[in-house]
Parts: sequence; C-alpha cells; structure tokens
Amino acid sequence: MSAVTLIARDELRLMRRNRVAVVAFALLVLLTLAAALISWSHQQSITQTRARFQAQAAKEFETQPDRHPHRMVHFGNFVFRPLGLLAAFDPGVDAFTGNSMFLEGHRQNSANFGDVRQSSMLVRFGQLTPAFVLQVIAPLLLIFLGYGAVARERERGTLRQMLVQGVSARAVVMGKLLALGVVAALVGLPAMIAFLLIAGQPGALAGPMLVIALGYAAYLALWAIIVILMSALARRGRDALLALLALWVVLVILLPRIAPDVAAQAHALPTRLETDIAIARDLHKLGDSHNPDDPFFKAFKEKTLRQYGVTRVEDLPVNYSGLLAMEGEKLTSGLFDDYADRSFAIQAAQTRLNDGFGIISPAIALKRLSMAAAGTDLTGHRRFMTQAEAYRYDMVQRLNRLQAEAVSYANDTAKDAGADRRKRISAGHWETIPQFQFKPARAADLVKASLPGLGLLLAWLVIAALALLPVARHLQKARP
Amino acid sequence: MTLVAYELRLLLRSRMAVLALLLVALLSIAAVAAGMAEVTRQRDVIARIQPQQAQDIASIAAWVDKSKDAGSAAYYSFHATWDAPAPLAFAALGLRDVAPYILRIRALGLEAQLYDGEAFNPELALPGRFDFAFVLVYLTPLFVIALFHDLVSGEREAGRLRMLDAIAGSGRHLWARRVLLRGGLLFLALAVPLAIGAILSQVPGVTLLAVLGMVVLYLAFWISVTLLIARLRWSSVANAATLAGLWLVLTLILPTVAHVAINQAIPVGQGVELTLAQREAVNRAWDIPREDTMRAFYAHHPEWRDSPPLTAAFHYKWYLAFHQVGDESVAGKVAAYRRGIEARDAAAHSVGWLLPPVGVQTLLARLAETDMQAQLAYQDRIRHFHKRLRNFYYGYLFTDTPFGKADFEKAPKFRG
Repeated sequence: MSAVTLIARDELRLMRRNRVAVVAFALLVLLTLAAALISWSHQQSITQTRARFQAQAAKEFETQPDRHPHRMVHFGNFVFRPLGLLAAFDPGVDAFTGNSMFLEGHRQNSANFGDVRQSSMLVRFGQLTPAFVLQVIAPLLLIFLGYGAVARERERGTLRQMLVQGVSARAVVMGKLLALGVVAALVGLPAMIAFLLIAGQPGALAGPMLVIALGYAAYLALWAIIVILMSALARRGRDALLALLALWVVLVILLPRIAPDVAAQAHALPTRLETDIAIARDLHKLGDSHNPDDPFFKAFKEKTLRQYGVTRVEDLPVNYSGLLAMEGEKLTSGLFDDYADRSFAIQAAQTRLNDGFGIISPAIALKRLSMAAAGTDLTGHRRFMTQAEAYRYDMVQRLNRLQAEAVSYANDTAKDAGADRRKRISAGHWETIPQFQFKPARAADLVKASLPGLGLLLAWLVIAALALLPVARHLQKARP
Repeated sequence: MTLVAYELRLLLRSRMAVLALLLVALLSIAAVAAGMAEVTRQRDVIARIQPQQAQDIASIAAWVDKSKDAGSAAYYSFHATWDAPAPLAFAALGLRDVAPYILRIRALGLEAQLYDGEAFNPELALPGRFDFAFVLVYLTPLFVIALFHDLVSGEREAGRLRMLDAIAGSGRHLWARRVLLRGGLLFLALAVPLAIGAILSQVPGVTLLAVLGMVVLYLAFWISVTLLIARLRWSSVANAATLAGLWLVLTLILPTVAHVAINQAIPVGQGVELTLAQREAVNRAWDIPREDTMRAFYAHHPEWRDSPPLTAAFHYKWYLAFHQVGDESVAGKVAAYRRGIEARDAAAHSVGWLLPPVGVQTLLARLAETDMQAQLAYQDRIRHFHKRLRNFYYGYLFTDTPFGKADFEKAPKFRG
C-alpha cells in the first residue's frame, strides 16, 4: 500500500474516532435527506396545484356561454408555469417569480403570486433544498473536518517525523486530500442518491443531471483542496480554521449578496408603470383606432377594401371590426414584445455581471450552473413568459378572427335593443381555442446554459490543484 | 480608567482583533451606504414617475374632453400609487426588492389589479440584499465568535491564565473589563455608521434608540453564548468550531426549517383562486340581466339608487357597477387570503422569540416598515384610494354629469 493511501486511511480513522466529526457528518446527511424529501414533496404539491389550476382555468374558458368573441378576449385565460423535475433539487428563482399569468387582449400582465409574497419573511433566510445544503453547508463541514489535517501534524511535530522517515511532503498532502475527498464524496452521496431517484422518474433529463452531478463534485473537490491548502499554509491549526471560516463567509455568504447589488446599480430596470406609459405613448403615435380620420387606420381601411375589391366596409365578406381588432392586437403585441425584449436584455446584463463574480466566488459559479441545468433560472422564467405571450397573441387573434368571420359587421355595429343577442356566437367556438401547453427546455439547451458555470468551476479546480504543488514543495523544504 | 486604556492597548496590539473590528466597521459602512443608495434610488423612481403620469393623464384628458364621457375617463385613466420608503428603510430593505412600491390602478375591479408584480430580476433577489440587517444578523455573530472564542482559552493556552486569576481581587473585573471593551468596540463599529445613516435619513430618535438597543441585545446574546461555551474549558479551536456550528444552526438551518414548517402548518389559499373567482364573477355580468347587477350594486350602495334606469344602450355605470360587484363577491376569499398571510407572518414573529437572528431581522424590518405588514398596509392604502376613485367617478356616471378636461384635475390624489 502506498504512502498516500496509508496516510489517507490514518486520517479517516482519526476522523471516525472524533465524536464531534461523526455527529456533524451524520447531521449533515440527515439534513440533506430531509431537504431532499421536503423539496421533493414541495415540488410535487406545486406541480399538482398548478396542474389543477390550469385544468380549472381551461374548463372555465371552454364552458363560457354564448358571447361576442371580444368578450372572451377580455375574459382571457390563466396559464401556470409547470415546474420541472429538477426543481426538486434546485428550485432556483421559482419562489421569487410569479407562477401564474392572466392573459387578455391588448394587455401584458405580470406573472403573479410568487411564494415570496405569500410567505413570511423567513423565506429570505434561504430555502431548505439539497442545492442549498450542498452549496452552503457542506463546505463548512469539510472545513471543520479538515482544517487540522496538515496543520495538526506540524504542530505536534509528527510531520517532521514523517519527512525524516522518507515520506515525501507531497505524499502527506495527497494522502490528507484523499481522505478529505472521500469525506466530500460521502457528503455528496445522499444528494446524489436523491438525484438518482428523480432520474427514475419519467421525463428526467440525463444531460443536465450529469452536469449538475459533475458541478457539485467539482465544487466539493475544490473545497477539499482549499481546506488542505490552508491547513498546509497556516502556522497553526486555529489560524487555518479562522482563515477558512473567513474565506467561506466571503465566498459563500457575502459575495453572493454584494454581486446583485452591484449588478442592480449598474443596470437600472425601468418600472412597470414607466413601461406601460411608454407603450401607451408609442401606441398613440402609431395611430388611434377610435378616430375615423386617423392616417394609419385610414390607410389600413383602404388597403383592406382594395384587397377584397369593394368600396365600402359594409360590403366586405368579413366583419371589418374583427379585422381592425386583429390589426390593433398586432400593433400592441409588437410593442409588448419590443419592451419585454428590452427589459430582459437589461436583466440579462444584470445576470451576466452577477455571474462575473463567479471568477472570485465558486459558490456563484455553482449557483449559475445548478439553476441553469435545472432550468430554474431567469432564462427558465423567460421561457415561460415568452411562451405565455405567444399563446396570448395566438388566442386573442383566433378570437378576433372569430369576430371577423362569425359576427356580421351589421350586427357588430348595431345598437338596437336586440343587437346584443345577435352579436353573440355559439359557446362551441371556445373549445376550438387550443389550451396552453408549456414546452420545457430541451436537455441540450440546459446543458449549454450551464457550461459557463461549469467552466469557471473547473478552472477554479485546476488552479487550486496546481497551487498544491508549490505548497508541498514548501512543506518539504520546511523540514528543519 | 488607566486599566481600560491599558487593556485597549493590549487589544489593539492583536492584529486579528484590529482587523476584525476594522472589517466590521467597513462592512457596516458599506451596508449603510448601499442601503441608502437603494432607498435614494427608490425615492428617485417615485419622483420620476410623477411627471410621466401627469403627461399620460393629460393626453387622455385631451381625448376624453371631446366626448365628455365620465365612463371613458374612468376606464382609460390609470392612477399612480406608491409606497415611499420609511426613514429607516435603508437599514433593512426587507421585501421592498420583490414587492412593488409603485402600482398603477384604475377604477375597475381592484382584485384583478392589486397583486400585479413589479419588473425585477429574480436572480438578483434570490440571495437577499446586502443591507445593515444582513451585516448585523449574519455577519456580526461571526465577528463576536472571532473576538471572544479564545478570550479565556487563549490565555490558558498561552500559560497566563493561572497568573491572571491569581491577581488578587481583580480576576472577575479583568474579564468583565475585557468583555465590555471588546463588546463596546464592536458596538461602536456597527452603531456609528448606522447612527450617521439614520441621522442623514432623519430617522426619529426613538426609533434609532430602539435599533441601537436591539444591536446591544443581539451582541449581548452572542457574547453570552461564546462565554457559555468558554465555560466548558475546551481548546480555542474546539470553541471556534462549536460556535461556528451554532451560528450555522441558528442563522441558516433553523430559520429555513421554520419557514418550511410555517408554510406547511398554515396553508394559504392561493391568491390565484380569488382572482379566478373574481374574473368569473365580473364576466358573468355580460350574460345575466343588467338589472340583476344593478340591484346587487344598489343594495350595497343605496346612495346611487336614484340614478336614471338603464336603457338598451351601453352605459359605463353598469360596467363599473359589475366590476365592483365582482370585487364584493370575493370579499370573503380576500379576507381569508389575507388572514393566511398574516398568520404566517405572526408565526415568523413567534419563531423570533426562539431564534434571536429571526427576531432581530423581523423587528428591524418592522421598524424600517419594509416587512409583510408594511406591504399589507400599502395594499390597504391602495384599497382606500381605489374606493375614493370609484366614488369620484360614480359621482359623474350615476348623475350623467359631463366629464371635461377640468374634471381630471378634481380626481382624488394618492397621498404617499
């Protein structure tokens, strides 16, 4: 058996004898399992609730009575963002974004009823998920178990004995690292088992799961290296412990909070109110559909008449009001998309700046990787918003087309007592409007989105591993 | 006095102690500055929207003035409401980053408007803000641990403990002096930036004193914990490890567990339910006889009963009435939803009695008026304003009074 494995075995035996270490390890494993269970059941109940609401909304839409189609444009529809399976591991921003959206004509509503506004302030202390345990708490356990690994040997003089006996400093460092690496693997194991259980579910994506497993393995390995590095560098064990704790606070707790502040100040996001006003102003500039002499809508009317080869709107084979509604919706939706793109571009710039801090904090890099692969990041939210808007547009235009084709112009513009009845079309039409189907991200896209985070983590890992070499040399030379 | 000065010199000679104190002061300054910058930004945004809002109303006024139709005025006019940050908001930004502090509403159904969200990047909100509350609740205990974990054990390990204890009579005083000195300096490092920020933000003296008192108590709690651990006579390293573990459990693990427990124990009927119900009620009005709606409306609002009866033509008073009837039909659901949220909030406050970090965070957010209660209070102000808006437009609609350009000026103004 080589010196490295001997040293590793010895270190592990020592840890096993340390009651506090064993208790702490057991607690962490329990915490991971509890987090996985809670997170899983939470994910399941969210999925069920949203599916139930989605079914209810769909039923309500289809069972509306005979109506003028434009009434249905304003009755609108609700859509709910389903939660992917991997959200049970890392729910990401789900609690912070609304998960339901009301869709109606000429309006772009926000996603509402996020958990954060329906829970107590405690939600801001963090959420008990496997991702949280592995990102935040697992490194702390590695610090407590490993800070003395090398420092202890030096403080007690056993390091010198080993070196005199011909064990190289490199073997000592590698042995200690191996031992801590085994602990790190054990720490990550419960989460990975929970992960595999998820993988057994239909619809789980293998690629993103692999990236997540790889990312967390790299993260824990990185911490094991950092701990051993510090333990070898510090003069005394307690110095190593304090330095490591300080490092953990800065990298895991402090920087992830400061980075968003910097990003938010660097790229200011306009408020909804300003966006709404700007959209209204732009619309006004485009034209006023209520004004018969408006140049834009006059041109539209002339074009329509030409197209059908008639001279009066009354002679059109379709209802002109419906055509006008379609044109109006096209204009407003174009603006909505435009402004939404701008808002998301600013948010993407914020996120990029935030992610840039991953260069100095591996916790930020890991968070990016984890959320991106789980599909629970801002991009995932945007995927929902974009699809919801596309669905809204399609639904409204189908209803407008119904107005154009199933309601006559004469009835639509009539104002007599019976007109209201004649404007209505049969309720059967509502069933022809397709229901919202959320298309989840493809595995390849999730993997691609998580690669930058993984790249950063691997770069950290390589640099930390390379730093081990001079430290081992330094230890060797330190032999007095 | 000279003894304290001597202790101070001794303390300042320890590089780690000086570094820790400087770092606390720096973090405190940075947090106060960041908080004040954020609050200033929010105030600027609130100020910035006013002229835009006025312009928006002016363009609607110019257009509605032609028809003098009060209904169109009510339908197309959005009115701004806002929740200006309280003076102390800079210290604990609370929910102000995820809940809207500006909301535009109009005189239609309120329940469909009240829960709209503000545009914000959820990824930035996820880790929580860097504010004074964060420095105090999360980071300060770590500095307490760094400064106090080896107070006694360090002397023991250096071989001076027996000697120090042997100094006749002064043994107890010595430790008291050292604890007070370190605690006092830590307090100053936190309190001075906070107090300066508070004075600049015109925080009332009583509130500032309350916050400072809370800082003292929180420091006292963590110092007591470290001293209690020190009585176990373990080594400095064992002390540090144990204390860090305790910190982890008290500030991170137990609050997250409490969050899960509270949300499990107090189910909140999803807000979605009430918006679904409200929409159903509002849209049903198109399918039932209009007189039914008016009867339901007049039952609650007899003051408009004498309004002329509806004709076959569309009338906005019916439109607004069915919106209000829709709101009223879900009043029970609204109250239940609100009770659920309040119960969760109250539960979190109770947890605060057991977990000092939670207690300090919730109390600080309460004093800063950035917590859930403040959010609900803002919703109440919106409700109240919305009521005034409705009554204002009803005054024209139910008496068929023409609504001209000048009448836009008379619309109720939201008082922030």
